[in-house]
Amino acid sequence: MIPPRSDLAAVSAHAHPGGGAFGAVLALAATAAVVAYVAAAVRLRRRGDAWPRPRDASFAAGGAGLAYASTAPLPGGPFTAHMAQHLVVAMAAPLLLVLARPLTLVLRTLPPGPVRRGLLAAAHSRPAAWLLFPPLAAVLDVGGLWLLYRTGLSAAARHDPLLGAAVHAHVLAAGLLFTAAVCQLDPVRRRWSVRWRGAALLAAGAGHAVLAKTLYAAPPPGTAVAAADLHAGARLMYYGGDLVEAALAAVIAARWYAATGRAHRRRGRPAALFRRADAPSSLP
Amino acid sequence: MTSEQDRPAPSGARPETRRSLAVCALIGAAVMAAVDEIVFHQVLHWHHFYDRSTPGVALLSDGLLHTAELLGLVAGFFLLADLRRRRALSAAHARAGFFLGAGLFQLFDGVVDHKLLRLHQVRYGVDVTPYDWAWNLAALALLAVGAVLAVRARRRTRLPAAAR
Repeated sequence: MIPPRSDLAAVSAHAHPGGGAFGAVLALAATAAVVAYVAAAVRLRRRGDAWPRPRDASFAAGGAGLAYASTAPLPGGPFTAHMAQHLVVAMAAPLLLVLARPLTLVLRTLPPGPVRRGLLAAAHSRPAAWLLFPPLAAVLDVGGLWLLYRTGLSAAARHDPLLGAAVHAHVLAAGLLFTAAVCQLDPVRRRWSVRWRGAALLAAGAGHAVLAKTLYAAPPPGTAVAAADLHAGARLMYYGGDLVEAALAAVIAARWYAATGRAHRRRGRPAALFRRADAPSSLP
Repeated sequence: MTSEQDRPAPSGARPETRRSLAVCALIGAAVMAAVDEIVFHQVLHWHHFYDRSTPGVALLSDGLLHTAELLGLVAGFFLLADLRRRRALSAAHARAGFFLGAGLFQLFDGVVDHKLLRLHQVRYGVDVTPYDWAWNLAALALLAVGAVLAVRARRRTRLPAAAR
């Protein structure tokens, strides 16, 4: 069942799952989260804690991107614009939000009490640990995308605003979950090695790239997309995904680099002192 | 590769020759893949983004390889930085590894991707044979350069060891 052209044009206006009421709600929530984050960071700094300013900027940029992509029309044909929105909501914004370590900030600013205890218990709970198992997070994220674009879900979500909102919410939540599982910046129950996280990123990236190439060949079932729009959207998905995946890889690698550096310094301290014994200055 | 790395590592730090070669082979393969993507896909538009005759398995292997190249490029540079930080980089082995990795990728791309999996061709609308020859001979040339550099690097590290 391929809807006629005019119908497509009509739905594309609100086809962006975020368009309409849910998009506005999401934009408001993102704005409120940014305000709360900055207020908490300011409080922390007044108290004398160190909280790097780039984290504020990262969170604000993530929130702004999310709000913008959920409400404003994006450039390009309907499918390309939808893909741009997908990239921001499911990949770029989650990365910027996760890099700001929101959970760490909340746990540091909340006073001791039931709310803080509850949050800590949730973060350390078994279900949270399972959800944050990198391969599972990858399946939830990329598997959801395959369901969306390779079944009738995409077409159905265009016609049912409620389903559209649910899809939009899932895409954001799964993006946040996968990014958090791969970057592993906030304190959670279980830490996974670089191998697990790298393998999950590799599998998710491959799934994303293959899906982008199949979309280049055929649009989601039940939708009609102009060839040029389809090709531009599929390429945007492929190369845009690459950019965010490279950034995620850089996050994993930079943390590995810092951790091995600390390990080397601990192990190599006596040797370093010995080597420097004849050097005139740098001895502490 | 600056001249600073050409000097032998200071005493106390032993150059890790195998690791230097392997890490730079990873970077070489990933850089070659990036050059392929940028020059032939984006600038010249010779390759097709997706050739409709591509079977599913080929698409999957392409997706895996493409992501692996991307992650390999990032990982390779961090591993290289780690070697330099520990003064364990052997520049001669690193250079050899770079050419070997680049040549291996080019050969894999030319034989497996283009011919066996038929992901896409070097160029469309022309007789592709000379292009395939040029592609694969370039790969062999890179591999030959890498092999010569590897042999020289090995000799260079062996001689001081023998003199000791």
